[in-house]
Amino acid sequence: MLDPAGPAAHSIARLWWVMLIGSTAIFALVMLLLALAWRPARAGATEAAAERTWIMGLGLAFPVAVLLVLLGYGLWLGERLLPRAGPDVARVAAVARQWSWTFSYDEAPGRTTDGVLHIPAGRPVDVAITTRDVIHSFWVPRLAGKLDAIPGHVNVLRIEADTPGSYAGLSAEFSGHGYEDHSFTVIAHAPDDWQAFLEDGQ
Amino acid sequence: MTALARHRRLSAAWASGPGWKGWFSTVNHSDVGRMFLVTAFFYFLVGGILAMLIRAQLATPHSAFAGPGIYSQIFTMHGTIMMFLFAIPAIEGMAIYLLPKMLGTRDLAYPRLTAYGYWCYFFGGAMLLVSLLFGIAPDGGWFMYPPLTGRIHSPGINTDFWLIGITFVEISAICAAVEFTVSILKYRAPGMSLARMPIFAWYMLVVSLMILTGFPPLILGSILLELERAFGMPFFQVELGGDSLLWQHLFWLFGHPEVYIIFLPAAGVVSTVLPVMASTTLIGYRWVVAAAVALAILSFGLWVHHMFTTGIPHMGLAFFSAASTLVAVPTAVQVFAWIGTMWKGTPRLHLPMLHILGFFVTFVIGGLTGVMVAVVPFDWQVHDTAFVTAHLHYVLFGGFVFPILAGIYYWLPLASGRRRFFRLGNVAFALIFIGFHVTFLAMHWVGLMGQRRRISTYAPEDGWTAINLISSVGGFVLAFGLVIVLIEIVLHLVVPRRSRRNPWGAGTLEWAVPMPPPAYNFASLPRVTSREPLADDPDLGVRLARGEGYLGDARGGLRETLMVDIATGEPEQHVVYPANTRLPLVMAAVTGVFFLSLLLKLYWLTPLALAGVAVLGWRWVWQLGSDTDLGCQPVGHGLALASASETDRPPGWWGSAFLLVANATLFGSLLFGYAFLWTVAPGWPPAAFMEPSLLVLVAAPAGAALAVAGIALAVRRNRIGGDPTAALLAALAGALCLAGAFALLLAGAPHPTGHAYGATLWVLGCYGLVHALLVALMLAFLLARQRAGYVSRSRRAELAIVPVWTGYLAVVTALILAAVYLPGFAA
Amino acid sequence: MSDLLRILVSPAAWLACFSAIYGLSGIVCAAGPGAAVADGSGPRMVLVIAFLLAVLLQVGLLALVWSARFGAEPGLVRVVSRISAVTGLVATVWTLFPVLAASACL
Ligand code: HEM
Repeated sequence: MLDPAGPAAHSIARLWWVMLIGSTAIFALVMLLLALAWRPARAGATEAAAERTWIMGLGLAFPVAVLLVLLGYGLWLGERLLPRAGPDVARVAAVARQWSWTFSYDEAPGRTTDGVLHIPAGRPVDVAITTRDVIHSFWVPRLAGKLDAIPGHVNVLRIEADTPGSYAGLSAEFSGHGYEDHSFTVIAHAPDDWQAFLEDGQ
Repeated sequence: MTALARHRRLSAAWASGPGWKGWFSTVNHSDVGRMFLVTAFFYFLVGGILAMLIRAQLATPHSAFAGPGIYSQIFTMHGTIMMFLFAIPAIEGMAIYLLPKMLGTRDLAYPRLTAYGYWCYFFGGAMLLVSLLFGIAPDGGWFMYPPLTGRIHSPGINTDFWLIGITFVEISAICAAVEFTVSILKYRAPGMSLARMPIFAWYMLVVSLMILTGFPPLILGSILLELERAFGMPFFQVELGGDSLLWQHLFWLFGHPEVYIIFLPAAGVVSTVLPVMASTTLIGYRWVVAAAVALAILSFGLWVHHMFTTGIPHMGLAFFSAASTLVAVPTAVQVFAWIGTMWKGTPRLHLPMLHILGFFVTFVIGGLTGVMVAVVPFDWQVHDTAFVTAHLHYVLFGGFVFPILAGIYYWLPLASGRRRFFRLGNVAFALIFIGFHVTFLAMHWVGLMGQRRRISTYAPEDGWTAINLISSVGGFVLAFGLVIVLIEIVLHLVVPRRSRRNPWGAGTLEWAVPMPPPAYNFASLPRVTSREPLADDPDLGVRLARGEGYLGDARGGLRETLMVDIATGEPEQHVVYPANTRLPLVMAAVTGVFFLSLLLKLYWLTPLALAGVAVLGWRWVWQLGSDTDLGCQPVGHGLALASASETDRPPGWWGSAFLLVANATLFGSLLFGYAFLWTVAPGWPPAAFMEPSLLVLVAAPAGAALAVAGIALAVRRNRIGGDPTAALLAALAGALCLAGAFALLLAGAPHPTGHAYGATLWVLGCYGLVHALLVALMLAFLLARQRAGYVSRSRRAELAIVPVWTGYLAVVTALILAAVYLPGFAA
Repeated sequence: MSDLLRILVSPAAWLACFSAIYGLSGIVCAAGPGAAVADGSGPRMVLVIAFLLAVLLQVGLLALVWSARFGAEPGLVRVVSRISAVTGLVATVWTLFPVLAASACL
């Protein structure tokens, strides 16, 4: 996820770096305040003044301000990553079982692939995810976040690859003995290759 | 009477039996607290060894150290042991040991219950340990998601060990929570108003209320999953109207508060120890109390943040994301109150302070990564990776283990009366601190690189080899540090070097107790006029030993103490505790037989075990009370108080009230589950709803009304000096009629294995039936007590307790009838 | 006990409203397809009204806890219960404002 290759993964990676920098600054501030407690003798503040600085100021106002900004950023970003309807969205379906994945394609009814998901590069793709047995999770770290495959429910995840290529996919919910090898591959095709895949399967 | 003579007389009344045999019959809080702590740290050792196995396995790629089957057991048991058998019991042990001393009283509210809780923990933990030794331990991860843990995908006994063993252990948490709540509210030193309570007591009060409302959802979930596994009632099977998401909701409804249940007592330790280490008082006491309350309640609104990737709509996620960020605010209030306290005073670098500094560094990082994972899109990426495992260790180790170590070093001189001998502690701290951060900073990073949690191995091509190796090395350094702590504590207990009284110069009452503490804590109970009684009067301990407080004359070999008014702390009642007995041990063993019969599917044994529990319960309560009127008891300083059995609000009333809080949460979770399946599970509505039965609709309300009216009448008759027998008989008839109605309801319900609807109705009906029978048993008990002469016009306490239960039964009956029949009416 | 109640009532009411509105958002989505909860639509209005009612409830509780009649006597409990009441109100606004902004059923 530190090596993003799609818009969702890009924006989440950016979110991470922003939060890392922010947290480092806050952490440094707290540590500084902690260290300063060892300063030699100083004039004692009154109880009320101390409450004002430490509790109202640093304890309440400071985190409230920071968190409001962060929460707003997170929600805005989350909204942008939702699988909204759109003209060029490709739709595929993913069905998990212990321990394999089967994919099918709305644009090529009847075609299924095992262990390899083909998608068009540069276009948003909605993956409808479900499972035949236990809970699994669909995750292509370089493209987007993960979404669980829950028995009886269909969850839709938006992914997109910037450029053609092959991306590792993982199942990210513990599912028993075959869990560590429960993976798949996503192949993103350039437009021509995608047409070719839809038409003749390769 | 000299102080020594007083000590002898009190010891004769309070001491537990001699030698190791005394452990089995002791009900003293100092003993049981120590037993809890030793057992909890034994499990810390076991959990730590499992952690080392995990790190050994992950140190190199393609590791063949343990296969995936064994590895699943290892990490599942590591998480389970650390959370349920180490963290929670360690808190219980610490609070059991400290609370009465801090509150200036002689024991907790229900000494036998303390011991019962310990033995439940002991036997329940032993069940899980046995499963580990035989290689049939739970292996579905510590949160046990079905369907993986359902009958089809986990046919073995492994999962049953978890569901049954943990539920058994949970009993001890519920017992302790009732005990703490009542003790903190009602068993304090005279004059200790709420505002004068030590801050640790506030934290424990909040935590206890959280346990009462946080654990029942998990208990319910475990019961439902076990019913599904054992009898095929499909609560979590989607084909039959169940939904696996229900488990996740129930589990995290418990699981998130659980994390704060672990953190808040540790924060209480920090709030207590840190000001002493800085020779000052905590700033913003009122704010810290309010922050603890806020944190506690907010933590119940976070559970879905463990489910951000389950496909819940974005608005739902946004609610929980917002709540999860908000919870950081009260945490920040506490952190800055602590730092401000250090600024106000002059901090000294004693060993407890070192661990508090370790806590600050670690916990602040854990808090910051916590805020990160509260941001939904980020969680979509890192959920179920090593990043989250690293985060949770920063919070749990930083927010719990460091403060507990600080607390142990701080209170060890109190418990042993000794000084530390070798200075190994500082070395140990350095190793723990460095080892911890190396291990888990590395795990953050490898998680960001895509390493999932719970994988048993990885390939060299993944590029994680070096980081994992570093992390494992750090883990072993950490473990080495912990072993040194253990060695130091053992040395401390072997090498006698007497400590002086109150070595840290603290102000709270536990330091007014002789060191090491005698079984009775205080030879006489202090009158408290401030938050730091010992700071006002450093000689308080001596004066109390001379019998200058309340209850100083050690009458009649009784274990006496006082109950006080909640708000003001003014004495209200005189209480005599039961003495040493093996009843708690036997009761826990029989409870264990009940759980074992379920585990081994020996269902013929189950009713026998239940009957055994009922008989022992009967004896348990029978031992209390008196068959003659006692009148007011002198407690010293010219004060005379009513005996607890001659009041309207005896200890049992308070205990019942808070136990019912937990019980009501369980019932509420059941109704939630019903509503959840109805709205979310794909297989609803069921093919047909249950037809309302006229007979049940008449008999159930009539029975409930008769029970409520009968007991109310009995109380009234007794108060005016009349004979309550007839009214009690009427109430008993009502309860039995109600039980019959529930049996009828069950007979008419759809088969419980066909659809989750039928299964839910069945559980609702059984819940009502069990409670009707329980109330009937109580009424029968009252009748027997009445005949045996334990109830009189003034000895009315027992009559005062049962109406609480009948009232609850009536409310529950109405709700069950509505839940069961309304859909049928509407259809 | 009444002191405990004064301290707990507002945050507990937040918890109840919070869970109820979360449940409501689930029911609204279960009832209709995702698009039905567009801005200004009926279901969205239901959620917004529920949100406003929750805020109103908190304001009412705040007034009660602050009042001379139902509030605590001067001292610790009074301060803590007032802080709790403000916490309940802030939490209600903070955690439920997504009904105004977020996509309900996607
Ligand atoms: C003694 C030092 C400790 C070390 C070295 C350690 C190490 C680990 C590691 C490496 C894992 C990850 C396994 C995986 O998913 O790949 C893990 C999981 C876990 N640990 Fe620890 N841990 C320690 C102490 C603790 C403590 C004190 C607690 C709680 C109070 C705790 C609670 C957990 C939990 C809940 C899990 C998750 C288990 C699961 O996935 O089912 N650990 N630990």
